[in-house]
Amino acid sequence: MNNMRTRNLIAGIVMLFLCAGYAYLTANLPSRDIQNTTQPSFFPWVIVVCMAVLSLALLIQGLLQHFDRDIASRMAIPPKRLLIGLVLAVAYLVTLPSLGFIVANILLFAGLMFLYGEHRPLWIAVGSIVISVTVFFIFREIFQIRLTAGVLESLL
Amino acid sequence: MSPDVLEGFFQATQANTIFAVAAGCLVGLIVGMIPGLTISTGIIIVLPLTFVLEPEISIALLLGLYVSGMTGGSFSAILLNIPGTPSASATALDGNPMAKRGEAGRALGIAITASFVGGLFSFLCLFLISPLLAEVALQFQSPDLFSLMLFGLTIICSFAAKSLVKGLLAAVIGLAIVTIGQDPMMGTQRFTFGQINLTAGIHFLTALIGLFAIPQLVDNFASLGKAASDDGNAAKIKSVLPKLADLKLMRLPISIGSPIGSFLGILPGAGGPIAAFISYDYTRKLSKNPEEFGKGSTQGIAAPEAANNAVTGGALIPMMTLGIPGDPVTAILIAALLIHGLVPGPLLFIENGEFAYGVIFSFFWANIFNIIIALIGLRFLVKVLVIPRTLLMPSIAILCVIGSYALRNNFFDVYVMFGFGMLGLAMRWLDMPVVPLLLAMVLGRQIEEHLRVSLIASKNDITVFFTSPFSLFFLCLAAASVFWSFWAEHKTKQKQKQQI
Repeated sequence: MNNMRTRNLIAGIVMLFLCAGYAYLTANLPSRDIQNTTQPSFFPWVIVVCMAVLSLALLIQGLLQHFDRDIASRMAIPPKRLLIGLVLAVAYLVTLPSLGFIVANILLFAGLMFLYGEHRPLWIAVGSIVISVTVFFIFREIFQIRLTAGVLESLL
Repeated sequence: MSPDVLEGFFQATQANTIFAVAAGCLVGLIVGMIPGLTISTGIIIVLPLTFVLEPEISIALLLGLYVSGMTGGSFSAILLNIPGTPSASATALDGNPMAKRGEAGRALGIAITASFVGGLFSFLCLFLISPLLAEVALQFQSPDLFSLMLFGLTIICSFAAKSLVKGLLAAVIGLAIVTIGQDPMMGTQRFTFGQINLTAGIHFLTALIGLFAIPQLVDNFASLGKAASDDGNAAKIKSVLPKLADLKLMRLPISIGSPIGSFLGILPGAGGPIAAFISYDYTRKLSKNPEEFGKGSTQGIAAPEAANNAVTGGALIPMMTLGIPGDPVTAILIAALLIHGLVPGPLLFIENGEFAYGVIFSFFWANIFNIIIALIGLRFLVKVLVIPRTLLMPSIAILCVIGSYALRNNFFDVYVMFGFGMLGLAMRWLDMPVVPLLLAMVLGRQIEEHLRVSLIASKNDITVFFTSPFSLFFLCLAAASVFWSFWAEHKTKQKQKQQI
């Protein structure tokens, strides 16, 4: 899938499916019994038409494209690293409400430092703890943003 | 002179506003010079601050960051041959060769001075044109405003995307996202799936953080653990004040770059990179020494720098007078104003004239502090270039999370931000620009409102959009931008075919 033609075809098909889903939801929007006015579904229907036309245009562009130019990938990142990053992010999002910003940020920071190429354990430990804790207190105490401390709430 | 002008000047000259501008300039220079960080990311980092500050101080801070971010981009372009921001790409062509000759300080001085003059020129444009344009815009009715916003969307699609279809599709996705939440006319819930967090819709800033920051964090995986190396250029910085001979040489590029940048800044989507390259090209054609370009020419540095800083004031003109952002940064400025209950547009000059002129004068101060901080602090600021990405990128990640959470003290916004990050990655994979999507999210509700109000007032007569002269004018411009873009795309494809 390293050429734009294939990507355009996939995008065209995915967008048509999304458009169908959006149209289905639009058709089920409640209507208001008020005269001389436009319904809440009016603008979404305009969007459905535009989306359908443009998705078809993208699909046709992909089909009619005679030459198939390979594109240099803008994200020359090993897929394994990307996958680990994704798993780390999802784990962070799931645990954030219960762990709180200090603990979750320290873990995320440490994980990201490792992924960005830092492999010295002491540097990772010091960097992640110092920066995460500093950022937390700057925002919570100086900018008065109510960041939850989660498991550390009783200590703070 | 209107009393609003004087009051605006005094508002922008208060100590806390001036301090905010200076702080913004300092952050902007740092953010701009770090390759891999864009001005938009810098704004995202300081965004949570703006929630607790007064609106005039928030905007002053962001304007300082915007102006200095443009200048900061040239530092790494000159020292490392890596543009800190896309707008500084053209500066690297001559800036780095001059730095390699051992004249890094001279190159930086030329860039800073040209940026200053370009910025001041665009301030004059902003100061003189904005009130006049706002007065004209006051006459606009709903059909005119709808057509104007449609034109804004089509032109940004034309400029921002290599493929017009993809640009328009991105804009349509943005419009679809805006329909989530309450219907602006009747308050009916749409596409909320019973989820109370979606009732107020998706916050533009949450989307912006995800769309810009996450793909950038992923991109930086490619340059593992590296701190940029400047080949010792930073150590060679001696005097940064340009000499008289350089100042004489800079007259031509600055007089070309400043108007080009200001004009292109007004057009949504055209932005700094285009202005910088056009200005560079014209200066080379008109220069007495075109053969020096690419080898460390003074004019080759001054032209793009004057142009990209002139873009900043130009981009503020449609933002302030019409409520249409010229680029992602002005889109964030609009969102920052909306958070404080201020709606950019012609009414801003009538209802909050003092504030509107305060913004314009803050922009002036931003240019003044930009040159002062850049010239004085340059030798210290360039040390930032050695900060390892292993610390920088995780810091940005946690700041993005806190920024999204702080919008409404809600974890839901953090999840939405992450979702938009995935969307940003998918769009990058497809070579689909995110800027039209963002602009559609900013303008979407107003577009719907003006469309529906126009149709209700005209009893569903669609010709209302063609009978108003303003509306007809904007629709013709929108059609012209679409046709021009199709034509340009067709020509490019034909060239590629011939090459194959």
